[in-house]
Amino acid sequence: MRKLYILTFAMTFFAATTVLGQISGSAHDFSNENWNSSGEICIVCHTPHNADVTVTDAPLWNHEVTTATFTLYSSATLDAAVGQPDGSSKLCLSCHDGTVAVDNFGGRTNGNEFVSGDELIGTDLSDDHPVSFVYDATLASTDGGLYDPTTTNSGLGGTIDDDLLIGNKVQCASCHDVHNGSGVADLLRKSNAQSAFCLTCHNK
Amino acid sequence: MRSKFLFCAVCLLFWPLWSWGQSIVNTEHNLSVSGPGSTKATTESEVCIFCHTPHNSSPQAPLWNRKDPGQTYTLYSSSTIQAVPGQPDGSSILCLSCHDGTVALGDVLSRASVIEFNNGVTTMPAGPAHIGTNLSDDHPVSFVYDNSLAAADGELADPANLNAEVRLENGKVQCTSCHDAHKDIYGDFLVASAQYSTLCGYCHQKTDWSSSAHNTSPATWNGSGSDPWFHTDFNSVAENACENCHNPHTAEGAERLTNYLVEESNCLNCHNGNVASGNIESALSKPYTHDVYSYDQIHDDAESKQVQTMHVECVDCHNPHKANSTAASAPNAGGPVLGARGIDTNGNPVENVQYEYELCYRCHAGSAGSPGSAITRQIEQNNTRLEFDLNNPSYHPVEGVGRNANVPSLITPYTENSVIYCTDCHASNDATDPAGPHGSIYPYILKFNYETADYTKESYQNYELCYQCHDRNAIINDTSTKFGKDVHRKHIVGEDAPCSTCHDPHGISSSQGTSQNNTHLINFNTSVVSSVQMGRLEFVDEGDFAGKCYLRCHGRVHKPKSYK
Repeated sequence: MRKLYILTFAMTFFAATTVLGQISGSAHDFSNENWNSSGEICIVCHTPHNADVTVTDAPLWNHEVTTATFTLYSSATLDAAVGQPDGSSKLCLSCHDGTVAVDNFGGRTNGNEFVSGDELIGTDLSDDHPVSFVYDATLASTDGGLYDPTTTNSGLGGTIDDDLLIGNKVQCASCHDVHNGSGVADLLRKSNAQSAFCLTCHNK
Repeated sequence: MRSKFLFCAVCLLFWPLWSWGQSIVNTEHNLSVSGPGSTKATTESEVCIFCHTPHNSSPQAPLWNRKDPGQTYTLYSSSTIQAVPGQPDGSSILCLSCHDGTVALGDVLSRASVIEFNNGVTTMPAGPAHIGTNLSDDHPVSFVYDNSLAAADGELADPANLNAEVRLENGKVQCTSCHDAHKDIYGDFLVASAQYSTLCGYCHQKTDWSSSAHNTSPATWNGSGSDPWFHTDFNSVAENACENCHNPHTAEGAERLTNYLVEESNCLNCHNGNVASGNIESALSKPYTHDVYSYDQIHDDAESKQVQTMHVECVDCHNPHKANSTAASAPNAGGPVLGARGIDTNGNPVENVQYEYELCYRCHAGSAGSPGSAITRQIEQNNTRLEFDLNNPSYHPVEGVGRNANVPSLITPYTENSVIYCTDCHASNDATDPAGPHGSIYPYILKFNYETADYTKESYQNYELCYQCHDRNAIINDTSTKFGKDVHRKHIVGEDAPCSTCHDPHGISSSQGTSQNNTHLINFNTSVVSSVQMGRLEFVDEGDFAGKCYLRCHGRVHKPKSYK
């Protein structure tokens, strides 16, 4: 009886987080593309040596970095200060803005594979959830419709700040796990059933 | 064990609600399968998706996930609005992308097919949430609310100092100024309570509203007749406040958003004995009334203060934003007519009447169609303002103290220095009715019987109106003077001549009468009294209780007949 009790709670809280995935076979697995003669998965983005360090904290970067200037999201009711994409968001946009070929990696600059369809974000970010802004307790308090990221559980084990922010900032990687770690559709970090992901930060 | 099992099941079921507390998830705006309302999706579990998408939104902010309805809306308009509502924009057009009823609720940009709803629902079902494309009966939106609007209106809060709950969007009032789509704390997703019209009052700051009966009265509905508060859950006049008369959405009286299109219905739904203690409705059912039922859609709040097109509505005499029960003494306007419009003694328009007679002059000072006397007089005058003018040779003391300093018939507390109201003579015949000239069983909405036919037998009842102030005994039984014996007693009792044969009760205009011939309200009824030789028909004042008359009456000739 007691076990049933505990088990039920455990299921309730961990059901969404225990599904695991992997990059192999995911949308980011380009090992079988004919433009990737190496047959490697990681190489499209990463290299163990001589990595590009122009983007701060770039993880052993091996892909051409976008130089586009982006149109940012703006709204009369937005309290966050949204800057030009930086950090990992800039790396994501180095394919997803459509200005840099996906196959421009390892020093190549004349590739001709470009993202298209739903994956194409473009350089106009005004119709996309903002990224590259500081999300801290102050913003939460100013907005009034956001949870305090330093004290609110992310549903992934720690706080929002621990699990979803990078250097206090919301980035593409706050919602998406490029490596498909959770196995959720659209490479989401966790399921958005019942809009649970949106409502992790948004106190609506 | 069974109970713990149940507890676990309940945990599973309600965990999302507990963890989010007061949240959109618990409101009717949760259109997902988990939503609490009846209008919801069959299987879609995402809550935000019905309005928002993280990518490819349109319009971009606030990451909108719905199509522009592409409708042309019928806008609110009124003869007294200073704001200029445009076609809905900003947040309002977003709200209307469900609430105008033209776009399927499940038709979102981020899904290839329309999200399916329960019970075959596609667009917004009929009901209060269905605003439609006709916004003429809804509080206006999408207009700039700035200092100049507040100044032009005169009764709007400074937009710079609005309560923080009321948010303007780029300086405009939008649906989101009153509603927060994400929170339903006060009902109807309002941003503040509608009780006591708290929310309305953040913008609408009506002069003298704080002391008006419609703001302060604790009166409740007795349950009879139709529900005066059919669109609220509040139970007293004070709690309903603005909503006693106004309906912010789908108002039957679209212009000015009144509960009913028929003007008096807005008032008589309460002033019929079911909420207000006084029963105006019953007074208006009498034979002689200010007949508000006879006119429909003629009154216009923007009309000139001197009424031009004949009509009468409750709001011609009463200002529902200001009226209260404060008593006053003549000639000052009392609480019930506080803030009414009028015409002053010089014929100039007045926004807030200071004296009650100014209100009567709105219509009874030369407006076309205003009723005249049935009695034909030597001097005809249908402009009441001119009849009561203080420069006249005589007048009943309405605008000020009368001309005659020696009136022995006056009954205490009246004296020669008294001033009276129009409504001291013109009012309901029933003392238990509300004060004022709403209706009477007597012609001209007189408060008491007043016979004017020739050969009327004198009795208290026949001249009850006059005898309220003028002591009957002093009028007909004072034989101490020639005047008492040969004038009043002889004519009223001896000849059965009514008071109105010689006296014109309002007064005689200075432009027509003279201080020699028309003192003492003398203006003969020419259907009874006629001229003698040379067309002479006159009274000549020769001092206190002295005078002479040239006339022919009841077959007798005075050429002249004197008394002293």
